[in-house]
Amino acid sequence: MKKTVGFVVRHLVLTLLVVIWLVPILWLLVTSFSAYKGINTAHFFPEQWSLDNYKVLFLQPDSVVQYGAWFKNTLLIAIFTCIVSTSFVLMVSYAMSCLRFKGRKGLMSFGIILNMFPGVLSMIAVYFVMKSLGLTNSHLGMIIVYSAGSGLGYLITKGFMDTISTSLREAAWLEGASEATIFFKIIIPLSQPIIVYTIINSFLVPWGDFVLAKLMLNSGIATDWTIAIGLFNMLGKSLINKYFSIFCAGGVIVSIPISALFVLMQKFYVEGVTGGSVKG
Amino acid sequence: METPETRRGGASSADNSTAATDNSAATDNTAAADNSAATDTAAADTTADNSAASSDDPVANLIAATTDTVKLTIWASEEDQTLTTQLLEDFKAAYPDVTFDITLGSESESTAKDTILTDVEAAADVFAFADDQINELVQAGALQPVAATYTYDVAGANVAGSVEAATVNGTLYAYPMTADNGYFMFYDASVFSEEDVKSLDKMVEVAEAAGKKIAMDVSNGWYIYAFFQGAGYELTLNDDGSNNCTWNAAGATDVAQAIMDLYGTNVMVDMSDEEMATAIAEGTVAAAVNGTWRAETASDAWGENYAATKLPTFNVAGKDCQMSSYSGYKLIGVNPYSANIGWSMLLAEFLTNEASQTARFEARGLGPANVAAASSDAVQADPAIAALAAQAAYATPQRVGGNFWAPAETLGQILADGSAGSDLQSVLDTAVEGIMAPIE
Repeated sequence: MKKTVGFVVRHLVLTLLVVIWLVPILWLLVTSFSAYKGINTAHFFPEQWSLDNYKVLFLQPDSVVQYGAWFKNTLLIAIFTCIVSTSFVLMVSYAMSCLRFKGRKGLMSFGIILNMFPGVLSMIAVYFVMKSLGLTNSHLGMIIVYSAGSGLGYLITKGFMDTISTSLREAAWLEGASEATIFFKIIIPLSQPIIVYTIINSFLVPWGDFVLAKLMLNSGIATDWTIAIGLFNMLGKSLINKYFSIFCAGGVIVSIPISALFVLMQKFYVEGVTGGSVKG
Repeated sequence: METPETRRGGASSADNSTAATDNSAATDNTAAADNSAATDTAAADTTADNSAASSDDPVANLIAATTDTVKLTIWASEEDQTLTTQLLEDFKAAYPDVTFDITLGSESESTAKDTILTDVEAAADVFAFADDQINELVQAGALQPVAATYTYDVAGANVAGSVEAATVNGTLYAYPMTADNGYFMFYDASVFSEEDVKSLDKMVEVAEAAGKKIAMDVSNGWYIYAFFQGAGYELTLNDDGSNNCTWNAAGATDVAQAIMDLYGTNVMVDMSDEEMATAIAEGTVAAAVNGTWRAETASDAWGENYAATKLPTFNVAGKDCQMSSYSGYKLIGVNPYSANIGWSMLLAEFLTNEASQTARFEARGLGPANVAAASSDAVQADPAIAALAAQAAYATPQRVGGNFWAPAETLGQILADGSAGSDLQSVLDTAVEGIMAPIE
């Protein structure tokens, strides 16, 4: 009896938590299928269902909704940022973890402290530097800004690499392998889970960023924007009643690449973790 | 403000400004209204553009001085994109001898100031903004004074209020575009009679009997102003950007009490603009205080019963006070950092001339600031614009510092939900203290 009560209470609490977490997402999802374009505060579920919002996003771009262009911009920026910053992080981590050189400790501490300053503090300075280089309103400029400092976030990856046995590297070294060979042939294959983590992280930053994108892409030309700016723009007070359900549809679509990336990478992630545990 | 007396000036400039749209030969008809001497010279110059440098006609001079492609960027609000694209085509067609490269970006008039002030140099050459932002834009050096005009007399052709709103310390800094950024009363004529809508208390009575609600976003400084200003309490802007406010002076508690009583009936409801849109469409709200941007929602919902009028009176301690309102204008400004100041100014003139303002009314229902455009039959027949014009006598331009909004919002909120308690004086004192807080 006591067990049953405990079971029921536990599950009630869990159900409540699930409801609290999922209701906003469910609302976003159902609103994205609403035929009414504004915010409907009177009903939770739309009175009329429609696929129009998704059609507008991809097939009928107007002056407000340039979703295809935004999606392409954001995806390009995110992919390139992801490639560049993942390489940076791996390179810095390898250097800090596997190499021994003068000033390594000092450099590490310096990097960590530097990384602790919130990025927003330097944003205006970054903007004017980019402006003097003519890189504002340019996607190249965005990629540079997003990935330039990413090497400083090496700490977790470095910690993972520290766990890889030194004797592996020593053995390779004795066999005549260069640092590059050790990095590509030994460290990288063994670091798979943490690489997945790094990739997901460095993809998420530009994918969801709003503040920096808003500052850098300030020409007001809609086709240059990223998704975050475009969606935000739809919530302007004169637009919200015509575009809110389209905004919701855009919000649903924007989560797809992240989910896909995660599902895809999760396989490797789990493989890496369990593979390691068996060997250990 | 839109009195018949001021229309004369508009009519004379109208001839010139409309000519600019139709005219493919560019220069001969586009002389400024107050520069009639230039017209003859300009006509001769069209045949020989090179000699135009010595001409008196500014447009001909500008064309003669232009050798390269004219690159301009312009910001208009999202809703204005289609219309502006069309107007830009007309502009290019009006000056066929010049190669233009005009980029149209989008920036809402209500947020233009924030975006421009992050980096004035990177802002568009020509941009639209709401008139309450003009002081800060001028202080930041983000507006080119309208020292000379090319095609029409900006100060004379637009209603006095809009010119005043575009003027800072005696210098005209912007081109009035619309004169409808204010609020008034929308109502469903099947519920209220014309007599009912003269008094808010009567409206509440009628709405209660009909089981309908009256919506006004009183928890918003922009709207709550209507009550206090209407009852004679002042809110003014100081030179340093702080506010001066007498909303806690003797007798002001009666105004607060009046607001509490109105909202206490539960017939008067405090709703944000978005909620109002839903409620009007659903039919629960039969009257709402809002602006022209809501006209479509209201006329869709109420059909032929859709009506609009000036704000009603409300009862303050037994005395009827006419509700006041903010009048607002949308203006077009020119960036002083523009590489093509001359063309930017000419474009700003073009986008605000009579023909463009008429087109803006026809396409989007926005009330023209241009006197001639505003006096056309079509504009006069529009219920929302007529209501604004009727309200204009009781409206004041929005000149208020940034510290006003948050305390006013809180004040409106606690008055509307009845949580103000009995000590209204201390509630008002707190609000006024926040509103008058010095600028750091």
